[in-house]
Amino acid sequence: MKSRNLVSFLLMSLLAVTISCTKKVDLNEKVLNLAVTSEIKGMDPIYSNDKYSSNEVGRVYEGLLEYHYLKRPYTLVPNLAESLPEVSEDGLTYTFKIKKGVLFHDDKAFEGGKGRELVAEDFVYSIKRLADPKLQGLGWWLLSGKIKGLDAWRDKNAEKDKVDYSEEVEGLRALDKYTLQFKLTKQFPQFLYSLAMPFTFAVAKEVVDHYGKEFLNHPVGTGPFMLGEFKQTAKKFSYTRNPKFRKKLFPSEASDEFKHMLKYAGKPVPFVDRIEINVVKEDQPRWLNFLKGRVDYIGIPKDNFEAAVTPGKGLDKQFEEKGVELSISPSLDVTYTAFNHDLKLLQNRDLRRALALAYDVKEFNKLFYNGTALPAQSVIPPGIAGYMPDYVSPYRNRDLAKAKELLAKAGYPDGKGLPEITYDCPSSSTSRQIGELFKKQMAEIGVNIKVVQNSWPELQKKITKRQVMLYGIAWGADYPDAENFLQLLYGPNKSPGANGSGYDNPEFNKLFAKASIMQDSPERTAIYEELNKMAAEEVPWIYGVHRQSYLIKHSWLKNYMTTDFEAGQAQYLDVDLDQKKKMQDKL
Amino acid sequence: MNTWSYIIRRLLYTIPIILGVCLIIFAIFNLSGYDPAQLLLGKHASAKQIAEVRHELGLDRPLVEQYLDIVKSAFTFDFGRSWATKQQIIEMIKEGAIPSLTLTLPAFLISTTLSILLAIVVSFFRGKAIDRALVIISVSLMSIPSLAYILFFQKFFAYEMGWFEISGYEHGFPYFVPYIILPVIIMVVLNLGPDLRYFRTVILDDIYQDYVRTARAKGLSEKAVLLKHVLKNSLIPIITYVIIQIPFLILGTLLLESFFSIPGLGGLTVKAVFDNDFPVIKAMTILSAMGYIIFTVITDILYTVVDPRVRLK
Repeated sequence: MKSRNLVSFLLMSLLAVTISCTKKVDLNEKVLNLAVTSEIKGMDPIYSNDKYSSNEVGRVYEGLLEYHYLKRPYTLVPNLAESLPEVSEDGLTYTFKIKKGVLFHDDKAFEGGKGRELVAEDFVYSIKRLADPKLQGLGWWLLSGKIKGLDAWRDKNAEKDKVDYSEEVEGLRALDKYTLQFKLTKQFPQFLYSLAMPFTFAVAKEVVDHYGKEFLNHPVGTGPFMLGEFKQTAKKFSYTRNPKFRKKLFPSEASDEFKHMLKYAGKPVPFVDRIEINVVKEDQPRWLNFLKGRVDYIGIPKDNFEAAVTPGKGLDKQFEEKGVELSISPSLDVTYTAFNHDLKLLQNRDLRRALALAYDVKEFNKLFYNGTALPAQSVIPPGIAGYMPDYVSPYRNRDLAKAKELLAKAGYPDGKGLPEITYDCPSSSTSRQIGELFKKQMAEIGVNIKVVQNSWPELQKKITKRQVMLYGIAWGADYPDAENFLQLLYGPNKSPGANGSGYDNPEFNKLFAKASIMQDSPERTAIYEELNKMAAEEVPWIYGVHRQSYLIKHSWLKNYMTTDFEAGQAQYLDVDLDQKKKMQDKL
Repeated sequence: MNTWSYIIRRLLYTIPIILGVCLIIFAIFNLSGYDPAQLLLGKHASAKQIAEVRHELGLDRPLVEQYLDIVKSAFTFDFGRSWATKQQIIEMIKEGAIPSLTLTLPAFLISTTLSILLAIVVSFFRGKAIDRALVIISVSLMSIPSLAYILFFQKFFAYEMGWFEISGYEHGFPYFVPYIILPVIIMVVLNLGPDLRYFRTVILDDIYQDYVRTARAKGLSEKAVLLKHVLKNSLIPIITYVIIQIPFLILGTLLLESFFSIPGLGGLTVKAVFDNDFPVIKAMTILSAMGYIIFTVITDILYTVVDPRVRLK
């Protein structure tokens, strides 16, 4: 064979081998194919403080409560609890009955390798683990100071070499095999939300003891899916359906917008046999894998947004023809530019108001969110009590004349006498662009801004020590209650607490303290609204936007909806294999 | 001095270098002023919790003790657990090294072999059209940013043509093969330009030496001059260039790993930097320094193999 022919032959063979090795889409098994954008830190519930880890934990582990899948506003319903708890008249004692016959996954950590029944004591143990001072669970803030005797137990054990789990805690007891009781130190209506968060999900002591420090890589829960060993460096991992999962049915009630999903009402979950998770950090491969049908749904990457979504916020025709569907929903979050209230300069309310009025949120929204986000009027996002859909802040819409007037009233006519103000932001290119836009807009009223970029740790350090003047940041809800947003402006929460700007207004603090111990009621909502208005008019921050998520999914994926609390969502999703076969040729 | 005593002496010299590396990374970390406890606890941290985590991480111990811990880990390879993932660091490194090598090693071997061969060809035809064409092509290849290659090749060859996997990785041979072919091709294309230009320069430097003129005067063919004399004498800079790259092969290549979802050490290191995961950064820095030192010793020994005039002292 001549050398030229040999080279051609080798190249063709290599190509043929490659093409034949290229993975085909499996059309015989119900597999949910998901792409996540970040590595998973581990599968231990007490460390699941980011959405990626908590979503994965939520496939394997379960809590007493969960959010109703088909209801908005978000509503808590029993999961491992038999029903919602009995609450004492003083609102301090919560008693739960837990479901009987719920089994942990089979694992060698159990006697005979068979998963045993979940009992109330497992929750006592799991919550003590969250409080364990040696483990430093990242969700401890959720229960700190809330359960009688738990903080004392934590403090006492911090001094010991080994934490004593056998010591009883007054506010956390298993009254019998299936009865669990919490006693709170003070009224805290948000407590129930804690029990729907992965931090408090049930783990079995023998599994933790068996795997020791490697427990976070050996998830064994009661949930609908099982993982086996987990490798944190892996970019791909696969769950299988738990064959011993209890009989749990798809909900038979729904809010109006989800009524069309009731076709599945009463059917046992989960519906899929496997879940394949791929960690795909970059937008292009995630997008291309979706277009090839290898990922069932994704958020639309910024660079592909205009190709996929029409100016009328519909889906482009070429995608519709492929059976792709668009889902738009608001996120429970707020972006903002915070003032450092330790600085005398920024305690000047007229100055803050002037800067807020010079800020053009519409341009910001257009440039950075393709005009899809909702301009925030104040702290509370839509979808939770306290949000006022018709309220427009007097310091929100851009008004340069009024901004200049206020700047003069603040003592700085046309910016004269005003020192250079620094704006700190993270080091990404988008953050830099946001900073530059802010600088340009402020210059129009004579305010001189200097944009300072920081690594994320550096920015956090500066905020904690309040070594910043202004900084740009965002907050996403931990649970669907306005308290979680308003606490960002509560004086006693000053950094290193969540109140990084150090805003401290006695009137606000008093009202917040009152509302934070009230049960959900029209009275509490009225106070939330008052606080929201106060936050709008006092301008402790310049409000940005409430982001909206734009997701696209393939037609074969059933029951999908965007949610702020995804943990556990996979059990309700289904893959229609006939539809998938039909659509494959079009992709 | 025999080779073994040279190796032992050079390896002993590495001890103060490792101590210095440990001191530098310890100083950088402590001078940065970041509080890892605050970063690890996230948005709800209280001062008390931060103090507890600092205690758990041993950050409240005397600085000398903390430095000695780093030194100890460098000599025992026990780097402890990652602060971010709580996993054994040495296990994370072992898991990441193989995917990185499955990508970088074939790319390195192919691009090195190919560029040496092409360098010989262009040197043989120096000044002629083929030489000029290959130099222009290599300069053009170098002028295009790596990201452009990745985006284009991935979109065109993997998505449009369907010849390769778009992204992903399967552990074990031959399962990883379909996933690494495209990134290997990209890496070869990226390396070819600089490698070819370097090797060409090295070979041409020798071509104009007196001993080559002598060889030609003796009537040796151009082919024999190039392969027997020039190439042999060019081997020292070529070996230096090639071997010094080896430690970096283990570290992987961040962009390719990121775009092709390959679970290698490049991504691991960058993630550790973003997470302020000091134990992982420390381990990777120490191992890189060690790799560099070891491969420098290997380079020196190879000099004596390819050129008997070189003596180890």
